[in-house]
Amino acid sequence: MFVKKLLSYFDTFAFSYKTNFLLFIITGGMVCIIFLSVISIFSLKQDFDVLFEQRTKPLVQLEEIKDTYKINIYDTFYDIQHDGISYIHAKEVLSLAKQLINDGWSDYKQRINSNYYQPSYITSLITSVYPISSIQEKKILQESIINNIEKKNKIIDVLMEDILKFLEDRKTNEALVLVDKLYFEINSINIYLTSLINYDLNLAINEKRKTEKVFNIMIVISIITIGFVFLFSIILSIIIINNFKKLHNSLELKVALKTNELQKLNDSLEKKIKIEVTNNRKKDLIMFQQAKLASLGEMLQNIAHQWRQPLGSLTMIIQSFQTKMMHGKLTDEFVDRKVKDSLLLAKNMSNTLNDFRNFFNPDKDKTEFFLRDCLDHSLELSKYLLEKEKISFTCVIKDNVKVNGFYNELSHVFLNIISNSKDALATKDKNEVKLIYIFIKKVDDMAKIIMIDNAGGIPQDVLPKVFEPYYTTKYKSAGTGIGLYMSKQIVEKHMAGTITCRNIKHKLGTDRLHDCAKFIISIPINQ
Amino acid sequence: MANKNLNILQEFNILYLEDDKNLREHTKDVLEDFVNNIYAVATSNEALNIILNNKVDVIISDILLENENGIDFLKFLKEDKNIQIPCILTTAHTDTKYLLNAIQLKVENYIIKPINIKELLNTLHDILLPFIQQKEIQKNHNIIKTISTVTDSKQVEVVNYIFNNLNNDNLLITSYAEIMEKISISKPTLIKLFKELSEKKILVKTQHKTYRFDEKSLHEL
Repeated sequence: MFVKKLLSYFDTFAFSYKTNFLLFIITGGMVCIIFLSVISIFSLKQDFDVLFEQRTKPLVQLEEIKDTYKINIYDTFYDIQHDGISYIHAKEVLSLAKQLINDGWSDYKQRINSNYYQPSYITSLITSVYPISSIQEKKILQESIINNIEKKNKIIDVLMEDILKFLEDRKTNEALVLVDKLYFEINSINIYLTSLINYDLNLAINEKRKTEKVFNIMIVISIITIGFVFLFSIILSIIIINNFKKLHNSLELKVALKTNELQKLNDSLEKKIKIEVTNNRKKDLIMFQQAKLASLGEMLQNIAHQWRQPLGSLTMIIQSFQTKMMHGKLTDEFVDRKVKDSLLLAKNMSNTLNDFRNFFNPDKDKTEFFLRDCLDHSLELSKYLLEKEKISFTCVIKDNVKVNGFYNELSHVFLNIISNSKDALATKDKNEVKLIYIFIKKVDDMAKIIMIDNAGGIPQDVLPKVFEPYYTTKYKSAGTGIGLYMSKQIVEKHMAGTITCRNIKHKLGTDRLHDCAKFIISIPINQ
Repeated sequence: MANKNLNILQEFNILYLEDDKNLREHTKDVLEDFVNNIYAVATSNEALNIILNNKVDVIISDILLENENGIDFLKFLKEDKNIQIPCILTTAHTDTKYLLNAIQLKVENYIIKPINIKELLNTLHDILLPFIQQKEIQKNHNIIKTISTVTDSKQVEVVNYIFNNLNNDNLLITSYAEIMEKISISKPTLIKLFKELSEKKILVKTQHKTYRFDEKSLHEL
């Protein structure tokens, strides 16, 4: 329960916090393990070293003492007994042996008493935490053995001196009795020594066991630590992986959700686009219709004007018959003259109508025609408006180019540009010269129609937008803003040509430079 | 056309300013039968030339001439040259701009093309009638003056008094004494004159001191 709580609590942490924690645990654990192992290895090594040093040397010493007793003293006395050795020689040997024994003994005692046994800090720490069965109580045994040995040593010393005295005094029999006694004593001291050696050996074994135990504990601690770190790392990794999974799942869910939304949006957008496209088509149609109506209006104005004059004359002729009749002056000659005039006027009127009717007939097929004819026709149609604004126009036909296309549509384009120029020129001062200059020439495979007017050019902010639909600088009733857009559509879509405009300075056949707007229509000659 | 006596136009000269050759010729053909003289010209320069050298009674001008404007020309005549001649404007344009300018110029009429000849002639008649009447009045006045010098001037004076004192109902309310106070005339002569007028039913006595003038009786004379 607690672990679960902890885990769930840990789960609530931020992701970066978790990863940091994992990193900390892993590195911390590693450092701990390395540190612990190094320390334990070194302390164990020291323990073993100390053990060897402390435990083997006294054993060797004891063995030496034992040997000395056995070989030097016992053998010497044996030799003496069997007269194998001189007294003096024996005395020397004995005194040497005695010295050796004393030295070895005192050395051993000193060693035991001085620094009995000092284990490493770690070992003592571990032993303090994990108490290991001590051998302290056996110390009494050791002490008693040592005391016995010392006692026996003294006895041997006394015996030896007695024997040597007897020998000196040539009392061999007493000496021999004492020697037997000495043998016994030596044997007993040797037994004591052996037991001491055994004791020390036991101690050493004990120490070794202790060290082994410490080592085991150390290993267990290390393993536990490693296990702990490993466990923690795994738990954390699992948590983090879970976190990843959760994150992944939630992200996937989110992505799926968003994708769905996007899909929906996309679908609705597609629908909207379709609707808008159809709307736009309708708008375009309406727009073209509007543009047509606008030019129709202009044409109508033209027709009206061109009809007005002959209509006035005709009216007058008709009325003249009545007045002449009134005055009795209606002669044959008069009637003939007036009828002839009337017929001429009526014919002109009919021709005008035909011109405009053709203009509004939609082209069904592409035809081959001279650009010049088309331009002349367009100028003829807009002549009245140009004259009204007192605009003079000049046509320079360098190459009479023949193109294949829709005659009336191109005528519309010309009329549109001329009409725009006319509108711009109309805003100029009455007294200024108003000029429209038109070039037709052939450049490579393109027929170029260049139309220039000196109305001052197109304002820089308007220039990039002139071909956009519904863009107009004119007052709302005056322009629909689609004339040039339609012209562009006609030239680009129907004639595979281009139409551009820019501002230039040109003399236009006069003696000074004018600020001009220039429209260039390029149409491929061989389509 | 019959309503008005268009014969009066015969005495006048008309200047016709129109740039369209066809219309100018045809209109001239019509108008020359009605007027004394018609000068048909195409530009304002020619028109000015004719005005300065001939007697022109009415100007008929188109508004939109070739490269010039009829209104501007009339303005120039009236304001700069101080030549006051009645004008009629003809135009194909119904623009109010022109109409306002025309009103400011105090033109006599404004005729929209195509020209209705009846309308034009009527307008000419209306414009020229006052001139005719003026002439007539002047003529009658002169006749009376002349008669009075060769006949008895006292009787003319009395007739003059009678007509000057007629009220709106053509009634004369007066007495012989009143007349004699104003005009030194003998009573018998005055009575004789009134009797004579009464016999001819020109001035009939309706009640005391009241006489009625009967205009119809003059036509029966």
